[in-house]
Amino acid sequence: MDEAIKEIGAEQISKEFKEHSVAEFFKKNKQMLGLYGKVRSLTTIVHEYVTNSLDACEETNILPDIDVKIDELGREYYEVTVKDNGPGLTEETVGKALGKLLAGTKFHRMMQSRGQQGIGSSGCTMLSQMTTGKPIKVITGTGKNVISLELTIDPKRNEPKISNKKDIAKEFRGLAVQAKFKGVLYRDSEQGPLEYLRRTAIANPHAQINFRDPAGQKLKFKRTLNKVPERPKEVKPHPKGVTVDELITLSKYSDSKKVISFLKNDFDRMGQKSIETIKKKVEFDMNKDPKQLTWDEAEQVVTAFKEVDFISPSGDALRPIGQAHVENSLKSIVEPEFLTVLTRKPQVYSGGFPFQVEVAISYGGKAGRTVSGPEGNEKRLEIMRFANRAPLLFDAGNCAITKAVHSIDWKRYDIKDIDRAPVTVLVNFVSVHIPYTSAGKQAIADEDEVIEEIRLALMQSGRKAGNYIAGKRREKEKQLKRELFYKYIPEVVAALNSLTGANKADLKKKLEKMVLEKLRLEEAEDVEELNGKEAKAEKGEEDGKKAGKKAEDNN
Amino acid sequence: MAKKQVKKPKTITKGKETPKQVAKKLENIGHQMVKEIGKGLDPHFKTQLRGRSNVEFDEKRGILTLGDKETTRTFLNIGHAKKFMQTTMIAAKTRDYLNHNKTASIREIYYELKHTVPNSKENTFDGQTESDGVIVDLEHSVDTIREKLNLHANPKGTLYGDITLKDKMHHNDKFNCAKLGRGGWSVMSRLEPEEIEIVKVNAKYVLVIETEAMYERLVEEQFALKNKCILVSTGGQAARGTRRLVHRLHKDEKLPVLVFTDGDPYGWYIYSVIKQGSMALAAHSDYLACPDAKYIGMTLDDVETYELQNVTEKMKDGDIKRAKEMMEYPWFKNKEWQRQLKKALKEKIRIEQQALANKSLEFVAKEYLPRKIKEEDFLP
Repeated sequence: MDEAIKEIGAEQISKEFKEHSVAEFFKKNKQMLGLYGKVRSLTTIVHEYVTNSLDACEETNILPDIDVKIDELGREYYEVTVKDNGPGLTEETVGKALGKLLAGTKFHRMMQSRGQQGIGSSGCTMLSQMTTGKPIKVITGTGKNVISLELTIDPKRNEPKISNKKDIAKEFRGLAVQAKFKGVLYRDSEQGPLEYLRRTAIANPHAQINFRDPAGQKLKFKRTLNKVPERPKEVKPHPKGVTVDELITLSKYSDSKKVISFLKNDFDRMGQKSIETIKKKVEFDMNKDPKQLTWDEAEQVVTAFKEVDFISPSGDALRPIGQAHVENSLKSIVEPEFLTVLTRKPQVYSGGFPFQVEVAISYGGKAGRTVSGPEGNEKRLEIMRFANRAPLLFDAGNCAITKAVHSIDWKRYDIKDIDRAPVTVLVNFVSVHIPYTSAGKQAIADEDEVIEEIRLALMQSGRKAGNYIAGKRREKEKQLKRELFYKYIPEVVAALNSLTGANKADLKKKLEKMVLEKLRLEEAEDVEELNGKEAKAEKGEEDGKKAGKKAEDNN
Repeated sequence: MAKKQVKKPKTITKGKETPKQVAKKLENIGHQMVKEIGKGLDPHFKTQLRGRSNVEFDEKRGILTLGDKETTRTFLNIGHAKKFMQTTMIAAKTRDYLNHNKTASIREIYYELKHTVPNSKENTFDGQTESDGVIVDLEHSVDTIREKLNLHANPKGTLYGDITLKDKMHHNDKFNCAKLGRGGWSVMSRLEPEEIEIVKVNAKYVLVIETEAMYERLVEEQFALKNKCILVSTGGQAARGTRRLVHRLHKDEKLPVLVFTDGDPYGWYIYSVIKQGSMALAAHSDYLACPDAKYIGMTLDDVETYELQNVTEKMKDGDIKRAKEMMEYPWFKNKEWQRQLKKALKEKIRIEQQALANKSLEFVAKEYLPRKIKEEDFLP
């Protein structure tokens, strides 16, 4: 799957990991890897496979077609099958990609990526064999040949073990993986695989995703964009955003011979002046081989980074989904009655990290979360959170996006009870470095600039949605009024006919005309009033922006 | 426009119109609405504002009157539309009654007009209170009284004594109300002269009694004949027909009216309705009220005078609330009634008419009433 790691054996990866077997490491870090909770674990597994498929397709400029199947084999026992139309894996790479832990492409690359640094596909293999004792099944087609094989990981050596390899005389290009898991659970909930796929489809309009759930229900998320998005530019990591273990991992892959050159070559905005400052702050010789860097030394470097004034990273690498594309995919998947999408210009947080916010508000149609209430199904507010297009399904309460949504006074936008409105709010947070709250990487930290930017985007779109909703409400009120008057007209007409002998049909026609005329006048007044309100709101927002700008300048 | 068509003439006295004239008034309202619709104007009708805010106490005449606050109801108003529809329906229906010489109870017209509005789940009238309200509005709009619309309420109240009546609507029956057995005559709800004629009265005064039981006691004690008076029982709050009857005996036959109720705010209010009129029908006080009526009892002073302390009852919360309200009514703002109400609020007791039986069954007829009448021991 990746050329750069071919030469690096497991023993080189990290001293940390060498001491215990991979299986032990795995068990110890389950929490961090998103493998807690039976439902969450299954979602994480689906996520790993689908992410790999999307990445593989995009890297080779193929429009992804991904089939996901989940079968229930027993109690808390499932089989997950993911098939894509990507480039496939060669015989040599299949083992490393699916049978070797911590061997991935994302560890040492710094670009805006979906990478959740989760368990990876190999982690799924590990989990499968740990819980079921069975190998995973793989079919891979590279266009030249198609082979099927079974695969396990030797936990002591962290090496793949391939068996039952067969050539298949079938036309197929792509990768199909089938793995069994115990101790997981399928739920049709907000945090289940279906919702994960739905949101993935929304954020990846160029992908087509088919899903078959354990009950045999089939769902198709259609492609709405026939172009593979431009790959995000790979940028070197900015020193301010690097953690100790990231630094160690990067150092293992570095071609540099000295720590000084490693820092200079592998980090963004690292000038000679910065190196000099760091040199003074660390207590070891920076001429040493970066591969020999200890945890303690790495920690000193990261601490030193914090005290140096680096130039802000560039925003060139930001790749939002794009206004038109979000619009198309929401139209196709949420089918809202009303939709407004906004991609804001890049901003910076924490004094230097560029980020960008995309917001969409959908109203009506399939928008909103469906819950069953006492009077049948009811709609509730749905917040779809994304970080670099990857759906965030967990830990919603701690997330800046959730906080921003709830901090808005939606009543100002004529949405009376946002929590009970058929509304889906989508927020995609785009950045080279996402400020997650924790290692679980499911919530974005509530940095002031981040919250404020999301708020501004929501207010701007909220006003548009509000206008629509208010208009709709007015239309409904108008209709109710008309019905009310119309309802009484026949009785009034009959009585007046009885009293005066006046022509019934004539009276009815005239009264109905008067009702329509009255409602038309009322509406004109309403619109006038609303226009006044809107002008005010716009002014308020501008003022807000100015204030925000000022605050920024002061920084 | 309304002035032109809906005649509010001071020359034709309300309540004296012929059925034809009333029918014409109703038609005029319809014509005015049709004319407005023809011009593309929101059709309207005017009525007087009902309720406390528009009720005034005319001290000179001693009756409640309706103020001149008018309200206009139009069709193209969400809040009025239904009432507007209901009013046109009642107007058309009562005109039918007048043209066909029919009368109906207000409950009957309610049932006659109640149906589901086509293509809806709504009723034309939800309960009789809605149609009753519209009827009162319409009385104002065409400046007439309910009876002239050939409508009447359910009858209530009885009459006993040496008085001869003629029922012109029923074979011109003539009867003396002392000769109908102990039950007396059931007071009709419509007591207009063209229906019930007072042929001859042989009495010095009218005694209006709140409870049927006390009325029966006095009949049994031959009180009416021995004291040359007419007994009228109201059975609680007096119905419109009973009030009209007492009014006619008072105004036309020049008989003094004495009112005898329980000694509590509710009873005293019954008295005030007979004397000054009610807020709900303030517009009709002119032909319902008896401003010269006097109150004979029970009072809280009777408790002491006749040593009835052991047969009093505690006032209920509703009584206390009512007493406080009544103290503020201008027609209770005289020193006698203020004193009586204050006493009630202080002692928080009430005394029923029948508590007099504590002395003896005959006590009320032989001692209580005669002494009060002789000494003119009345409240104003």
